[in-house]
Amino acid sequence: MIELEYVLFLSAVLFSLGLFGVLARRNAVMILLAIELMLNAVNINLVAFTVYLSPDLLVGIIFAIFIITVAAAELALALAIVLRLYRTRSSVNVDEVNLMRW
Amino acid sequence: MGMEWAWLLPAVCTGAFVVVAALGRWLPGRGSLLAIGAIGTAFVLFWFVMADVVGNGPGSFSRAWFDSGDLTVRLGMRVDKLAIVMLGLVSAVSLAVQVYSLRYMRGDPRFGWYFALHSLFAASMLALVLADNLLVFYITWELVGLGSYLLIGFWWERRSASEAAKKAFITTRIGDVALLIGILVLFKATGTFELSQIFAMAQAGEISQTTINLSTVLIFIGAAGKSAQFPFHVWLPDAMEGPTPVSALIHAATMVAAGVYLVARMAPLFVLAPGVLDLVAFIGLTTVFIGAALAMVQTDIKRILAYSTISQLGFMMLALGSLGFTAAIFHLLAHGFFKALLFLGAGSIIHAMHERQDIREMGGLRSRLPATWVAFVIAGLALAGIFPLSGFFSKDDVLFSVLDNRGVVWFAAGLIGSVLTALYVARLLYLVFLGEPRSQAAREAREAPLGMTLPVMALMAPAAGLGLLALAWGDYDGFGSFLVFLPFGSRPFEFHGAVFWPSLALAFSAFLMGLSMYRQTGGVAPALVRRRIPWLLTALDNKLYLDHVYQWTVDHVVLVGSRLVALFDRAVVNDAGVDATGRATRWSGLVLRYHETGLVSTYMLTIAVTAMVIVLIVITTG
Amino acid sequence: MLLILVTVPATAAGVILVIPSSRPGAIKGTALLFATVGLAFSVMTFVAYDHAEAGFQFQRQWQWIESLGVTVHFGVDGISAIMVLLTGIVMFTGVVMSWSIEKRLKEYFFLFMILLTGVYGTFVSLDLFFLFFFYELAVLPMYLLIAVWGSTRKEYGALKLVLYLVGGSVLVWIALIAVYAEASLGTFNLLALQEVEFAKDFQNIFFPLFLIGFGVLAGLWPFHTWSPDGHAAAPTAVSMLHAGVLMKLGAYGIIRVGMTLFPEGVAHWQVLFISLATVNVVYGSLAAMAQRDLKYIVAYSSVAHMGLVLMGLATLERTGMSGAVLQMFSHGIMTALFFAVVGIIYDRTHTRDIDLLQGLSKRMGLAAVLFIFAGLTSLGMPGLSGFVAEVLVFVGAFRTFPVAGVFGVIAAMLTAVYILRLIAKVFYGPLDDRWQGIQDAARHEVFAGALLVIMLVLVGVYPTPFLDVINSGVDTLAAGLGVGE
Repeated sequence: MIELEYVLFLSAVLFSLGLFGVLARRNAVMILLAIELMLNAVNINLVAFTVYLSPDLLVGIIFAIFIITVAAAELALALAIVLRLYRTRSSVNVDEVNLMRW
Repeated sequence: MGMEWAWLLPAVCTGAFVVVAALGRWLPGRGSLLAIGAIGTAFVLFWFVMADVVGNGPGSFSRAWFDSGDLTVRLGMRVDKLAIVMLGLVSAVSLAVQVYSLRYMRGDPRFGWYFALHSLFAASMLALVLADNLLVFYITWELVGLGSYLLIGFWWERRSASEAAKKAFITTRIGDVALLIGILVLFKATGTFELSQIFAMAQAGEISQTTINLSTVLIFIGAAGKSAQFPFHVWLPDAMEGPTPVSALIHAATMVAAGVYLVARMAPLFVLAPGVLDLVAFIGLTTVFIGAALAMVQTDIKRILAYSTISQLGFMMLALGSLGFTAAIFHLLAHGFFKALLFLGAGSIIHAMHERQDIREMGGLRSRLPATWVAFVIAGLALAGIFPLSGFFSKDDVLFSVLDNRGVVWFAAGLIGSVLTALYVARLLYLVFLGEPRSQAAREAREAPLGMTLPVMALMAPAAGLGLLALAWGDYDGFGSFLVFLPFGSRPFEFHGAVFWPSLALAFSAFLMGLSMYRQTGGVAPALVRRRIPWLLTALDNKLYLDHVYQWTVDHVVLVGSRLVALFDRAVVNDAGVDATGRATRWSGLVLRYHETGLVSTYMLTIAVTAMVIVLIVITTG
Repeated sequence: MLLILVTVPATAAGVILVIPSSRPGAIKGTALLFATVGLAFSVMTFVAYDHAEAGFQFQRQWQWIESLGVTVHFGVDGISAIMVLLTGIVMFTGVVMSWSIEKRLKEYFFLFMILLTGVYGTFVSLDLFFLFFFYELAVLPMYLLIAVWGSTRKEYGALKLVLYLVGGSVLVWIALIAVYAEASLGTFNLLALQEVEFAKDFQNIFFPLFLIGFGVLAGLWPFHTWSPDGHAAAPTAVSMLHAGVLMKLGAYGIIRVGMTLFPEGVAHWQVLFISLATVNVVYGSLAAMAQRDLKYIVAYSSVAHMGLVLMGLATLERTGMSGAVLQMFSHGIMTALFFAVVGIIYDRTHTRDIDLLQGLSKRMGLAAVLFIFAGLTSLGMPGLSGFVAEVLVFVGAFRTFPVAGVFGVIAAMLTAVYILRLIAKVFYGPLDDRWQGIQDAARHEVFAGALLVIMLVLVGVYPTPFLDVINSGVDTLAAGLGVGE
C-alpha cells in the first residue's frame, strides 16, 4: 500500500496549485476552478486520514461528501454571479471588478 | 384673643395673596378691597396682640414643619415687644399705602396683581418679624425680597424697571448668600435653628468666639444687603423704578429696615462680638455720609428720598454698632412713618406733575398742593431732626448712644451727618415747594384727590407725634423701658444737654442756612461748591463711581469668568475631550480603508499570507 | 401593582403600534389614556407606600433564567417610590406637551412609551440584570427620538448622547459582572447581593465604575457635555423626560447599586465624589451664565442642580442624602416645566436666542408665569420645592464638608444671576415688533404646566409627606453605609 506521506504530498501539491491559481489568475472562472482544486485537496486529505488512521470511523469520508455537496452548491451560485457579471460588464476579469473598495 | 393669634396676621395676608392672585379679575375692585381688608384685619389684630404682650409678657409658639434625619425644622414664632413694634409699623404703613394705592394705581392694567403682590409682601414681612427660627427668618427674608423684586419690576415693559428689579434682587441676594452661610455656620456649631436655643448656648459660652465672630459678620453682610448699607446700597436708588407707593412701603419703611431688625434681633449674639460691632458702626457711619452726600446732588425727587433712606439706615446701623439697640429700633419706627409720609407725598406730587419726577421742573407747589406741603414739611422737619417732631427724639437717642459708647469723635461725625440731612431736606423743600414754578406742569399742578390725601394725613400723626412714645407718661415709662435689650437695662429717654443742644442747634441752623442758600442761588447745587471743588460734585454726580465699579466687575470679572468656563467646556472638555475621540476613530478608519482595494486577488493574498503566518506561529510555538 | 406600572407604557406602545398612522387622534388619545393610567398607578404606588414600615414593598418575583439566577423581581422603597411618582407626573405632562407633534406621530409615541417602560422598570427592578436591561431600554429610544424629531444639530446631539450613555453603561456592566462573579451566589438579586460583604479592595476598585458609569447619565463633571447638546437637540417632551427623569436614573443607579453594594467603596472615594459634585454645581452655574440659547441655559442649570444631588449623596449623611433625593424630585418637576415653557416659546417664535427675544410677557403672560415659577424654584426661593431640598443638602454638606456647602450656596446665588438675567431679557422689557402676533400657551399646555407648578408649591410648602417617604428609604441606605443611629 502506498504510504500516507505520498497522499499528503499529492494533496499539498494540489492545494498549492489551487492557491497559485486563485492568486494569479484574472479570469473569474479560472479562479473558481482553482478554488475547487483547493477543496479537493482537502477532500483527499480527509479521506486519506480516515483510511490510514481510523478505518472504523467514516467521519472523514462523510465530511468529504458534505464538502463536495457544498462545493457544488457554491459553484452554482458563483457561476450565476459570474454570468451576471459577464452580462453587465462583458468581461469576467476580476481586476476590473473593484467597486467594493474605499 | 391675644398673642396666640399672632400667626393670623401673616396668615390673612397670605390668604388674600392667594385669592387675589388666582381669582382677582373676578372680584370687586379686582381684589384690591380684599387685600385692603386683609391688611386692615391684620392692623386690628395687632392691637389685641399688643395688649396681650404688654399685659402678659412675650410668648413663643412653634410647630414642626418637616424633618429629615436628625434635623427637625420647626415653624417658630415669637411675639415679644420688638416684634410688636415692627408689627405695628408694618401693618399700619401697609394699610396706609394700600389705601393710597387704590387711587394712585387706578386704571393700571395689572391693578389686581399689584394688590396681590402687596398682600404677599405684607404677609412675608409680618412673618419675618415674628420668626423665632433662623430658617423661617431666611425663608421670609427671601419672600420679602421676592415681593420687592416683583413690585420694582411691576412695570416690566420698561427696560429700566426690569433692570432695576434684577439689580435689587441680585445685590440683596449676595447678602443673602452670606446670611445663609452664617445661619448654617451657627447651625453647625449649635445643631439648631431656634434663636432662643442659640442665644442660650452663646450666653453659656458653648459657642466658640470664632464661630460667633464669623457668623455675626456673615449675618451682618446679609443685613447690609437688605438694608442698603455701603457697599451694597446701589440697588436702592434704582429700585425707585417701582410705583411710588411701593417705594414708600418697601424701600423706605419696612423691607429695607429688615436688616436693622435682623441685627437687633440677633443682639445677644452681636454683643458677644465687639469687633463685629465696630464694623457695624463703621459701615453705618460710612453709609450715613455717602447717602447724605448723594442726596444733596440728585435731581429726581424719589432718588433724593432713596439716598436719604440709605443715609438714615446708616444712622440705625451706627446706633446698633454703638449698642444703642433701642435707639436704632426707635429710629427705625419713626423713620418708617415719616419716610413713608415723604414718599406718599412725593407720589402725590408726581401724580400732580403728570409723572415728572425732576425737581428742577417743580417749584412753587406750596400753594397748589397745600395738603401735601403740610405733610412734606412735617415729615421733612422730622427727617432733619427738628424738635418736637418724631425724628428729633429718635435721632437724639441714636446720637446719645454713639456719644455714650463710641466717644466724641464718632459723635461729631454723627452730628455732621445730621447737618447734611438738614441741608438736603432744606434743598428738597425749597426746590419743590418754594420759589416760582419752573415748568408748565408745575404751574398747572392740582392737589391729589381725597383718596390719596387721606392716608397721607393719617400718617402725619405718627410722623409728628411719635416722639411722645419716647417720653414717660402715666404707667408708661418711655420707649427705652418698653423695649429692653438684655443684657442692658431699661434706659428711659432723657434730654442730655450734650446731645440735645448741639444737635438741635446744628440741625436748625443748617436747615435755615440751606433754605437761604437755595433762595439766593436758586440753583440745584450750591454755586459755592460748584466753583470751589468741582471734582467733588462730579464724583457725586457719578454716584461716587460705585455703579461703574460694579458694572466693570460684572462685565470683566463675573461674565468673563463665566465665558471662560463656557469656553473651557466647549474647547477643552467637548472639542478636545469628546469630539477628538470621535475624530481619532474616524481618522484611523480613513487610513485603514486604503487596504480595501476591491480587488479579489488582494483579499485572497491577505487571507493566504495571514493563514500562513498563523500556521507558522502555531508550528514554532509548538 | 408594580408589574402593571411597567406594563402600562409597554402596552401603550403595543397598542399604538397597531393603530394605523392615518388616525393621529386615536394615537394621541391612546397615549393620553395610558399616561393617565400610568400617572394614577404612580400616585397609588406613592400613596400606598407605607413609610412607617420602610423597606422594599409590593415585592413580586418570577423566575426567568434559573441557571444564571436571573429573576424578574420588582419592589419599591422610599427612594424609588418618589421616583415612580416623578416619572408618572413627567410622563403625563410630557404626553400633553407632545400634542402638537405632527411628524411620524405613531413612531414618536411608540418610542416615547418604550422609553418610559425602561424608566419605570429601572426604578422598580430589584434584580440587577433587569435593572440594567431597563436602564438600557430607557437610553436607546433616545437616539431615534432626538435624531428624528429634534432640532439644532440633532444628529450630532443624538449620537453624542447615546455614545456617552452607552459608554457609561459599559462601565456599569463590567462592574455588575464583577459583582456577580465576586459574590458567587449565582444570583443577580440585589437584596441578596446587598448582604454580601465585598472585600475592601474590591469595593475600592469597582465603586468608581458605578460612580462614573451611572454618573455619566447624572451629568457628572466632566462627563456632562452630552447634556447641553442632547437637550438642545431633543424635542420638547423628550427634553422634559430626559432632564426630568432620565438624569435621575443615573443618580438612582449610584444610590441603588453603587452605594448599596459598596458602602466602603463610597467612603473611600467620598472626597473625590463630593469634589466632583462641587465642581458640577459651580461649573454648571458659571457655564449657564455665558449661554445665549434658552435650552443650553436650562441644560447647564440641570448640570448644576444634578451637582447638588450628587453633593447631597456624597455627604453620606442622612439629611444630605434626603435632600439629594428630594432635589431629584424637585429638579425633575422643575426642569420639566422649564423645558415645557422653552418648547412653547420655540414653537411660537422659532428661536431660542435670548438676545432676539424680549418682552414676551406682553403676549405670553401665562407662559411667563410658568417660567418664572420654574426659575424661582431653581434659584431656591422658599415656598417652592427647590428651597427645601437645597437647605437639606446644604445642612448635610455643612456637617461634613463645609467648603462644599459654601460653594453650593454661592452657586445658588449665581443661579439667581442667570435666571433673572434670562427673565429680564426674554420676558420683560418692551415687546419686539417681530413678536407682535405670537400666541400665548394653549390651554392644554397651561394645564400641564399648572400641574407641575402645583407640585412645586406643594413640596415647597408642605414637604412632610414627601420627606417621610424619602426618609424611610434614606434611613435604610444610611444604615447600610453605617451612618444611621
